[in-house]
Amino acid sequence: MIWLNFRKRLGNFTLNLDCTLTKKVTAFLGESGSGKSTLLNCISGTLSPDEGAIAFGDEVLDDAKTRTHLPPEKRGFGCVFQEGYLFPHLTVAQNIRYGQGGALWKRTARLKTAPTELSKVIDTLEIGTLLKRYPNQLSGGQRQRVAIARALAMEPRLLLMDEPLASLDYGLKNRILPYLHHVKEAFDMPILYVTHAISEAMAIADEAFLLSEGQITASGEPHQLLTAPSALPIAQLTGVENILSLPVAFSDKVSGITALQIGNQRIIIPYAEETRLQSAPTKMSQDMPIAIRAEDIIISLEPNLPISARNILKGTIHEINRVGDKTLLSIHVEGHPLSVKITHDAREQLQLREEMHCYCVIKANAINLLWR
Amino acid sequence: MDIRPYNLNRVCAKQTRVARFVSVPTEYLMRITPAEITALTLSIKVALLSLIVMFPPGLLVGWLLAKRTFPGRALLNTFVMLPLVLPPVVSGYVLLILLSKHGPIGGFLFQVFGIELVFSEFAVVVALSVISFPLLVRGIMTGISAVPLELENVARTLGASPMRVFFTVTLPLAARGIIGGVILGFSKSLGEFGATIMVAGNIPGKTQTMALAIFNAVQLGQDASVYRLVFISTVVAFVALRLSERSLARL
Repeated sequence: MIWLNFRKRLGNFTLNLDCTLTKKVTAFLGESGSGKSTLLNCISGTLSPDEGAIAFGDEVLDDAKTRTHLPPEKRGFGCVFQEGYLFPHLTVAQNIRYGQGGALWKRTARLKTAPTELSKVIDTLEIGTLLKRYPNQLSGGQRQRVAIARALAMEPRLLLMDEPLASLDYGLKNRILPYLHHVKEAFDMPILYVTHAISEAMAIADEAFLLSEGQITASGEPHQLLTAPSALPIAQLTGVENILSLPVAFSDKVSGITALQIGNQRIIIPYAEETRLQSAPTKMSQDMPIAIRAEDIIISLEPNLPISARNILKGTIHEINRVGDKTLLSIHVEGHPLSVKITHDAREQLQLREEMHCYCVIKANAINLLWR
Repeated sequence: MDIRPYNLNRVCAKQTRVARFVSVPTEYLMRITPAEITALTLSIKVALLSLIVMFPPGLLVGWLLAKRTFPGRALLNTFVMLPLVLPPVVSGYVLLILLSKHGPIGGFLFQVFGIELVFSEFAVVVALSVISFPLLVRGIMTGISAVPLELENVARTLGASPMRVFFTVTLPLAARGIIGGVILGFSKSLGEFGATIMVAGNIPGKTQTMALAIFNAVQLGQDASVYRLVFISTVVAFVALRLSERSLARL
């Protein structure tokens, strides 16, 4: 459990927080300049608050009144940043071992005989083949995985992530996201995730706080937060993405499709090799994470369209919000909320109202599998 | 014993052009005198000594100027850089005043320990240290300030103490700048003239460095000696530069 109750001034900007984090993964959502990085720097100990206190469990990390400040190296919090910040003069293995102290002169380290915790980190992030390389020999996605591994290898009490996916392009982002899921499942420590992308928060966080100009303006489950009026500027900024975890119904290599079950309906996606094992009867229960962008969903009032799109899902309009020059619909399909972005014009022509039934038309190819 | 180039050419007349090209400097070097060798070794010795003595304080001051803000920072910067802009003769004169038997530092040392500093090898080292210090600090400062603060902060969050961060992150990443500063400082020391002659004089075998020896030889019209010393200086500079370029390329 983390208690944050402090104030930090930086120039004209003031960060003013009062919240308690109890969930395993907490996301802080905000536009750039909303105070996300300042918040992380205060928790990691790089900055110290002007007023108030920060506590981790029973331990007071910062208290302005008693002038307590635990230096960052004594906190045991692992940090992952947007740019990775790997040490360019050290190999991947040396980077990973940095947090464990000890000599650095061995270039490749005997990581094979390493303690189980370390090999678990290397396995989880699949960086076993990269250990001898230098950071400039890695791709953006590999670099970020190594940065996450480095933070995990120190066996942190808390993992702080500052926009770890922001510098990666869309495709790469969806490839790294599953690793974050693995990390969440394989390790016990709580995670604090800071981002401007609602989709990332929805994909990994149990609870989210919305930051705006240094203040918390909303909090709750990421899905709920999306419909909060104060979240709209962010939704507009980053584009909304729907992340669903659905069981596989069947997977057929010959016709080239994989079907996922959503309630009584099915979602067809391009054939995914990875589902081959999942489609075996014993593993039917395992869910596949998928991502659909809100812009990629078409709304129709008719189910029987002569159209190439493979998916026509029946749903109910739950909410209608205006976001700048677009309309954001929240449609419930078999209990799963789907965000759909359309123009005001389309909304008027179709005369969409809340509680109305409609159909979500989605191309199979517009659905991204969040699986390697 | 005055051997001019055309004399040598006559000696080597029968040899091919290529052989002559090699043999001319060899002839010169063969005739090198013990006094010249002393000047060369003394030059290298005092330059290295001043470098070794000034490196730790250089590292400290460079780090302070690059990473810290404190009252008097600008003043310290100006003070350290002063010998770079002052004529070396002026720096040398100030040192002479300070270190002489009647000066504040030299007087104290003379009265308490009975040591006389000026016109000794030690005075040469002091002169070179003062003159080369700004170049050393400049290089170290540039190197250290180029190390991203974020990397140092990440190292801290990974459990490294400020000391460990300095030695495992800051120093290796600043190596280029530091080596640059060391080379500049060393070359400056090798060629220093004005301050050395003011505070240490020009005593052959004792305080006469290469630069002073060349000046002396020119004054006395010993052209052959001048050529040899100039040639040796060039070789030393060339080798030092090559070595430094190589060590930089490896980083």
